[in-house]
Amino acid sequence: MTGDGDERGGGGAERGGAERGGGLAERRGVDDVVVYQPAEDSGLLAEAAVAEAHGRVLEVGTGSGWVAERVATERDLDVVGSDLNPHAAREARERGVEAVVADLLSPFRADAFDAVCFNPPYLPTDPDNEWGDWMERALSGGESGRELIEPFLADVDRVLAPDGVVLLLVSSLTGYDEVLDLIDEAGFAADPVVEESFPFETLTVLALRRA
Amino acid sequence: MKESLMDVICCPLDKAPLELDVDDADDEEVLAGTLTCTECGETYPIEDGIPNLLPPDMREEAAA
Repeated sequence: MTGDGDERGGGGAERGGAERGGGLAERRGVDDVVVYQPAEDSGLLAEAAVAEAHGRVLEVGTGSGWVAERVATERDLDVVGSDLNPHAAREARERGVEAVVADLLSPFRADAFDAVCFNPPYLPTDPDNEWGDWMERALSGGESGRELIEPFLADVDRVLAPDGVVLLLVSSLTGYDEVLDLIDEAGFAADPVVEESFPFETLTVLALRRA
Repeated sequence: MKESLMDVICCPLDKAPLELDVDDADDEEVLAGTLTCTECGETYPIEDGIPNLLPPDMREEAAA
């Protein structure tokens, strides 16, 4: 979700609608048009998750399922991929990921996962500029950019097993220090695992462990 | 979904365990069925191998 981040943040309607439609739909099926496809942020999260994940893994907001599939195949771990978007869940299942339609962490049991990965929708979006389709749900983090990160961090301790790790992708566009404050409030300590700078944002994957 | 998923999922409303009713399955997976909350009785469909565990109000919104 980078490179053209400024363009999507402001003029997302064109991006979410026409440009991703037509050709892609014909070539790769309707689900692709309404499901976030792997980008630089996905690659960074996969790299961190392959390095740090252990045991039973959950990827929240799995989208196309690409990150979940890489963790499953490269580490031979059991991975569950969840997404609010039923089109995304279908696409993840086609990749062989155990897919669930869910709102963040709400249908997962206490202590269920040893690793939880999340590349949240993080672009700060002007409420007047929201365009109201699945691609917006995949990209927009609301006005602050943190509207999904906040409830995720408030609940992730519940589903995490003892010695569990959370891998959270954070963009500089979302407010790195503000996210660190939320992590601290949730009772976790954060260590950067991978970081990469792009023209419009710096992406960092943080490993969170109980402080 | 594999039956082993039952170990990690719960009712999104009250976090109580779910009960699985299988309508269709192959050797590996449940393809169609219903998950019912053992506490509040809310039901969640499994279609094409994917359980929909959204709370009922969000499920309707997502279908629209």
